Amino acid sequence: MIQDLLRIMGQEHRRSLIGYFVWCVAYAVLQGVAMVMIVPVLQDLLAGDIGGALAWLSVLVCAALFACIAHYVQAMRGFEVALTVLSSMHHQMGDHVVGLPLGWFSSEKIGRLSQTLTSGTMMIGGLFAHLLTPLVTGIVTPATIAVAMFFFDWRLAAAVIICSPVLYLAFRWSASLVGRGDELTDAAAVEAGNRVVEFARCQLALRAFGRGVEGYQPLEDAIEGQRIVGRRSLWMAVPGLIAGGFAAQLAFTVLIAVGVLLALGGSVDTVQVIALLALSARFTGPLSEVAEFAGALRMGRNDVRRMARILAEQPLPEPAEAVVVSARGEIELDGVTFGYEPGRPVLRDVSLRVPPRTMTALVGASGSGKTTVTRLIARFWDVDSGTVRVGGADVRDLTTDALMAQVAMVFQDVYLFDDTLEANIRVGRADATDAEVRKAGRLAGVQEIVERLPAGWATRVGEGGTSLSGGERQRVSVARAILKDAPIVLLDEATAALDPENERFVQDALRTLQSRSTLLVIAHKLPTVVAADQIVVLDDGGIVEHGTHGELLAADGRYAEFWRERSRARGWRLAAENRPRERTES
Amino acid sequence: MTTAVTERTAPAPLPAAPVDTPRQRARKEAAALAELRRPVRGATMLAVVAAALGAVAGLVPFIGLAQLATQLLAPPVDGGAVLLTVWLIVAGLGLRGLLLGTALAITHFADVRLQAILRRRITAHLGKLPLGWFSENSSGRVRKVAQNDITELHHLVAHHSVEMTAAIVLPVGGLLYVFSLDWRLGLLAIGTLPFYAAAYAWMMRGYQEKMDQMNTGYARISAAIVEFVSGIAVVKAYGRARRSHAAYRSAADDFGSFYSDWVRPMLTIEAIASMALSAPIVAVLSLGGSIWFVAQGWVTPIEAMTEVLIAMVIPTTVLAMSFGAQARRTAASAALRIVELLETPELPVAAQPKLPEGNRVELDGVRFSYDGTTDVLHDISLVLEPGTITALVGPSGSGKSTLATLVPRFHDVTAGAVRIGGVDVRQIAPDELYRRVGFVLQDVQLLRGTVADNIRLGRPDATDDEILAAARAAQIHDRITKLPGGYTAVIGEEALFSGGEAQRVSIARALLADTPVLVLDEATAFADPESEAAIQDALSTLAAGRTVLVIAHRLTTITGVDRIVVLDGGEIVEQGTHEQLSAADGRYARMWAVHEGGAR
Repeated sequence: MIQDLLRIMGQEHRRSLIGYFVWCVAYAVLQGVAMVMIVPVLQDLLAGDIGGALAWLSVLVCAALFACIAHYVQAMRGFEVALTVLSSMHHQMGDHVVGLPLGWFSSEKIGRLSQTLTSGTMMIGGLFAHLLTPLVTGIVTPATIAVAMFFFDWRLAAAVIICSPVLYLAFRWSASLVGRGDELTDAAAVEAGNRVVEFARCQLALRAFGRGVEGYQPLEDAIEGQRIVGRRSLWMAVPGLIAGGFAAQLAFTVLIAVGVLLALGGSVDTVQVIALLALSARFTGPLSEVAEFAGALRMGRNDVRRMARILAEQPLPEPAEAVVVSARGEIELDGVTFGYEPGRPVLRDVSLRVPPRTMTALVGASGSGKTTVTRLIARFWDVDSGTVRVGGADVRDLTTDALMAQVAMVFQDVYLFDDTLEANIRVGRADATDAEVRKAGRLAGVQEIVERLPAGWATRVGEGGTSLSGGERQRVSVARAILKDAPIVLLDEATAALDPENERFVQDALRTLQSRSTLLVIAHKLPTVVAADQIVVLDDGGIVEHGTHGELLAADGRYAEFWRERSRARGWRLAAENRPRERTES
Repeated sequence: MTTAVTERTAPAPLPAAPVDTPRQRARKEAAALAELRRPVRGATMLAVVAAALGAVAGLVPFIGLAQLATQLLAPPVDGGAVLLTVWLIVAGLGLRGLLLGTALAITHFADVRLQAILRRRITAHLGKLPLGWFSENSSGRVRKVAQNDITELHHLVAHHSVEMTAAIVLPVGGLLYVFSLDWRLGLLAIGTLPFYAAAYAWMMRGYQEKMDQMNTGYARISAAIVEFVSGIAVVKAYGRARRSHAAYRSAADDFGSFYSDWVRPMLTIEAIASMALSAPIVAVLSLGGSIWFVAQGWVTPIEAMTEVLIAMVIPTTVLAMSFGAQARRTAASAALRIVELLETPELPVAAQPKLPEGNRVELDGVRFSYDGTTDVLHDISLVLEPGTITALVGPSGSGKSTLATLVPRFHDVTAGAVRIGGVDVRQIAPDELYRRVGFVLQDVQLLRGTVADNIRLGRPDATDDEILAAARAAQIHDRITKLPGGYTAVIGEEALFSGGEAQRVSIARALLADTPVLVLDEATAFADPESEAAIQDALSTLAAGRTVLVIAHRLTTITGVDRIVVLDGGEIVEQGTHEQLSAADGRYARMWAVHEGGAR
């Protein structure tokens, strides 16, 4: 864990972490020493030696003073470390994540990453602020006292030393039982949580089919399951907790027995025994708290590990200097094989050339590899074998900036920033003039949205663009691509419900883009397919047919079948043909 | 709940609730906590009693040690008496462990029980909320309340009462004992507390305000992080990664420096104040005082030693209490969120429901508003005759989805009435209503269960043959039989459906439920371009012979329906058949022209 922490903080902060630890341990030791000084003071006091007691008291005052200083310094250092960790975590993660390939950012990863960056960092910062110091002092102070006992009576000290492994084992056992119980309950809690969310998310369906009122059995089962598992894990943890508690008691009992026996035997100073017992009584308490702190620490460790794992992700290798683009606007895939997991290729030996300023439509069933082709062109990932060339250059020989200067992407999951519509289009090209932004907006049909919105171009679109419909978001995305004016545009046509207006705007925008860029479109709409200069039919990771619409129809293969099915869909009419079927319901 | 979301007229946020003063809020939170904890009040009381007894037992060793000292230091030593004292000390310790352990066990079991009770209350309540609520509130909020907030109560229910009781009874009992020995020793034992209390009070000045600022700062950095992370693909694609990255960094730095400016002075005081409670300082004061008192002859050395022992226990409990207060604050705001959810008004259900006669659907002077100020629908009157198909068309924001969802009572009308079989939907019992009105909307809701269970959702008693028949009619049977477990495959695990396939499962479900009235979103048909034709066939089968209200997006689909209703700005502007409306050369004719142009 310390290794992971150091990695997150960066090596340059290593010294401050170590400094904090040193002061923390110093504080714990000094506190122990101060405590031990109580013994001679009490000893003299009980023996009636006021002068001696005062002399020892002055030693105690010195020790206490040093302990206070150490306490202050370690508290401040701990805070500095917490701050450093907090900000260096944010920075480190930010710097790192920016360099990761686009392919890394799946929606699941993004969710996890935001979670880690927000609450995870606070959690880790909190470790230093609240957890490490009590943990260290909880262990080191009693240990110091135990060691110091040798100065008073070796037999008592030996009793303590012998008890400590028992204590340690008891705490470990207890912690592992609690941990195992937690794992059980975690799984049940996740199940119940998912069922509750499902119950809320599917409320329409559940209620429509009578289950909102009658109750929904899987949810009921999950809640009951969580209750049962909760009880079971408690029963599991109980012996451990009892053992932990009793181990501390046992240690004290052994000590008191040994002490009293020695005192009765007269072989040890009675006063010393009493004073030492008093001290042990005070410090067996913190030991059992250590077990609790250790649990909290484990939670923090998970966050640390998650973060270290993200930092271990490697960016794609990039040349220092991009090669020169020789064939502007050309895309070429040459014998490309690629899989997300080893041994399961999604694309097999795909070769494809898209000449500059032409439009190519990719068609095929879902899962045939259409999206993967576009993503490899934008270098979300690197191919397993073969080459992807953009503008005549292998994408691996281009820097991210150089590649992105060539390619604009319009995908289905459009992310809009919580900013104005205008600013969201301007993302396409930061230095565009207002006139250019508006022109791009007009061409993509954003103008029409603007007219309906209260604040026009200055309307804020909400986080992730939630206040716009799917079709409207895609229009904004198209406007970005138009504004960017890249030689190549990769477009994943919306499958979502598009109103006739929406559909018309997208078609118009496609024509605009087609007139000045190379277009590679994952096509879902027939007009788009027909308008393409080249149609590529993918099936199960390979190209099965390619050619123009006419050629492929004539070939009467896979494409012709696709075309017939889609044409049939297009001619669908909803009509109550076999009516009237009068229904008599009670 | 796409229906409401795709609409331009997404519900405006409710008028902001009046902001509570911190004190009002605290009172509300306390009330919320008490209300939620009621089912385990008995158990908690029992645990508190056990904990108090345990804490008292915990005093025995300290007093016993003093006793032991007296016995050992005053010869002749009575071995039997010493042994008895030792036994008492050990028994006291054991009893303390046992009682505190029992107390914690009681509250932990109570906590498990309470969690289940609260989850059931929440889900029972969710089942009675208006359906519209679910489109306005994300499922994330439900998860937060049902999972995280309930878990946050854990510390309070399972630990707080017991630990606080122990933390109060032990030092108070010990102090009383010390005072009983000598009042001066009593004062000595709490000598450092005033310093801590004063410093703590000073630290807490304007705490709430600072805390609010801190929360705002935290929310800002969270937003910056979420935006940075979610938008990173976009900014990278447009070569603006560095800039967005800079915005993120500055948000992180702002937060860091604010946090540091706020916490640093507090921490300095805290670090100094907590010294007042640290064992070494307490020891110095107690021993110093003791030496003086003994020298003055006010107390015996053994009494002084007892004071030292007990004085050193007090600080640990004070710290425990300040941790406890923090935990209580967290739990209190969680409790408030839970209670707020539980207090969301339910959809009113008629006390004496009426039974509709027939399946004629009637909208009579319907007005509707999401926010109470702007009407989304104005004075709509419309009759859907049994066995006919009526299509709603209109531009985005015309109110067609809102209108359609009033029939299955997702929301209640603001004025006017929606009637089925002559009875106002508000007078129909919910289960009766949903036996009559079904819907197939864009947003497919499949449950994580077997395919068969999903299809038979509306009719749990349906036979396997009926399920198969419905799946066949919905064009999904062949796909299901190809799954590893066929009809017993679990959706989301073995059965991974594409959008269109999921849509067909939901159509099979609607077929089996066989409701006479059906609300249909035509966009359903093009959820998945790969299986569009199959969905359309399924929809045609489903629509046949029912009273259908269809939300139409593509005009070609609905040219054959019995009646087309054109909505604009929440009003009916035209209605009639395709032929009639085309001939009328009005709004519909213009839309038709645009549509034909777009499709070409």
